[in-house]
Amino acid sequence: MAQPTFAPPPQPSAAASVLAEPTGPSLPLNQLAPEAALRRLELAIVRRLEGFLHGDHLGLLPGPGSDVNDARPYQPGQDDVRKMDWAVTARTTVPHVRDTIADRELEVWALLDVTPSMNWGTEGVTKRDLGIAAIATIGFLSQRMGDRFGGLIMRPDGIRRLPARSGRTALYGLLRTMLTTPIVHDHAAGTMQLWDGVEQMSRTQRRRGLRVVVSDFLTPGDHELDPNIEPPWERSLRRMAVRNQVICIEVVDRHEVEFPDIGDMLIRDPETDFQRYVNTSDPAARARMDAASAAQRERIRIALRRVGVGHIQLRTDRDWVQDIARFVLAYRRVASQLHAPPQGVSR
Amino acid sequence: MTTLMELPVRGFMASGRLWLLLLVPLLVALYVWLVRRKSRSGIRFTNTGILERVLGKQNTWLRHVTVALSILSLITLVGAWARPFGVDRVPRNAATIVVVIDTSLSMNATDVSPNRLAAAKLAASDFVKAVPAQYNLSLVSLSGSPAVRLPPVTDRTAMLRAIERLEPQESTALGDAIYAALGAIDLAPRVDGNKTPPGMIVLLSDGANTAGQAPLQAAQEAGKRKVPVYTIAYGTDNGYVDLDGKRERVPPDKETMSKIAQETGGRMYAADNASQLNDAYKSIQTAVGYVEVEKEITATAAGVGLALALLAAVGAVMVGARWP
Repeated sequence: MAQPTFAPPPQPSAAASVLAEPTGPSLPLNQLAPEAALRRLELAIVRRLEGFLHGDHLGLLPGPGSDVNDARPYQPGQDDVRKMDWAVTARTTVPHVRDTIADRELEVWALLDVTPSMNWGTEGVTKRDLGIAAIATIGFLSQRMGDRFGGLIMRPDGIRRLPARSGRTALYGLLRTMLTTPIVHDHAAGTMQLWDGVEQMSRTQRRRGLRVVVSDFLTPGDHELDPNIEPPWERSLRRMAVRNQVICIEVVDRHEVEFPDIGDMLIRDPETDFQRYVNTSDPAARARMDAASAAQRERIRIALRRVGVGHIQLRTDRDWVQDIARFVLAYRRVASQLHAPPQGVSR
Repeated sequence: MTTLMELPVRGFMASGRLWLLLLVPLLVALYVWLVRRKSRSGIRFTNTGILERVLGKQNTWLRHVTVALSILSLITLVGAWARPFGVDRVPRNAATIVVVIDTSLSMNATDVSPNRLAAAKLAASDFVKAVPAQYNLSLVSLSGSPAVRLPPVTDRTAMLRAIERLEPQESTALGDAIYAALGAIDLAPRVDGNKTPPGMIVLLSDGANTAGQAPLQAAQEAGKRKVPVYTIAYGTDNGYVDLDGKRERVPPDKETMSKIAQETGGRMYAADNASQLNDAYKSIQTAVGYVEVEKEITATAAGVGLALALLAAVGAVMVGARWP
């Protein structure tokens, strides 16, 4: 009797994206968020991350709220006179205000950059799918307390908005939509850049909350290495960070940082007109390239620090869940200082 | 080495081979297509901004120049293969030059010092001395009844004496003078078996036709016989002579003179003083002293094509090679 083969159908390898633009996601939804594994993952992370991104996190940007809690003495200069509780003030002859319970429901919005440079990956997944996986992880972290999770997909010709909803099913729907969004072709028409996407996100989502920006933070044709010169997206990110808590997830492939040794090769850019034969076997050139790439990543890191946002660097050759967990553990200690609003801006 | 600039191409001996030039637009189109094409080969890489910074700017102009040079070389070599010919000027070894000098009474005008006829005689004598010794010279006086004063001879002394003896006479018969000059050419001694040497007429006149046959008809006859007539419109517009106590204005008839020259394939010169007259004779002397012959310039074209091909090869090596 012939042995039936239960091997899964061959998956398109992400490494093919080096030769031509990928035709579909390199990571199926069930691997991105398999139901059983995700529950485990969620539990594992939640156990470790007790106290963060939960309903009882008072430190995380509470909104003005709506539930009347109690009356407390008026603090001149701190409290809004419109909130005065005149009845209690009259009874006690001491000015009182009506206090409200902070609004615990958080709105999380994730911006996913799907420009052609994200359709690239030399290891298991493309950068784009790694970004979706990161959004999935962040989404499940913020799941427990019923926060609403929305998404924005930034294509070169415009932004697609996926409305914010709460619940596991809605999150799956969002992730599936992100995975099945058609691949943006190389040299696609459109002028949308990361800063346009960020501007649009801060303009359309007025409600304060957590914002997640997933991108490679590479500007096509930008070759600046000096960290003192602002990257073009810095200004709009800073504007968004004034009112929101922002976490930037920088998606990097290993071979963007370590220039590969593949001999004499025609190298072309999926976004710009760059096309050129390069002798990648030249160790000196490779060393220079690695140093420049490191300086470029350092510039991105410094710029994000200057803006005052949380920064996670994920690599396609590493376990993103582990990286995000490590970030979150450290983040619990520094978040309050990192996201201290600039002077003159009320919480 | 004579270059293509000095020898403009007048035609091709094997012009059918020029169809190969159709390759050129094909090659140019192919190149443009190759440059424009977003290559399917090679690898995608995202961080090319930094890569370009590390490697330095690529000079694409060198490649364009190389391609342009090789296509130019192809054009030149195809041209050379089609055996182009240009025009070369070689000294004439035998010719008959008929010098026609106006001896009408208007040549007494004194607007050219000492008077027109004396200055013309002097300039004609200088011309006679400068003409190569093997050419036949003949003299025709232009007046009411033009006459061959000297049949074609190579004897310069006789010619100079004949010029010296010219005296002013009545009226001007341009057409008759040209016919007389054409007759003088036939009198030249035969060379190379039974052929008269090619003839030329140098016509100096200072006034309009007043007698005899129409000058343009004579010019057509000269053109038919392939005898170029070089004309010199001589004198100033305000020259005058006193005839029988009456003052007559005698301006040169430049229009007729230039028509005669055009009709016969010669040239018209205008001279209103002695030095301009000398210049005119000098240019006529260079014009009649040489004959234009067709000359194949395949070697020159091939040499230029080879030089262009060499430059293109150097460019190709510069583009492709990685120097240690």
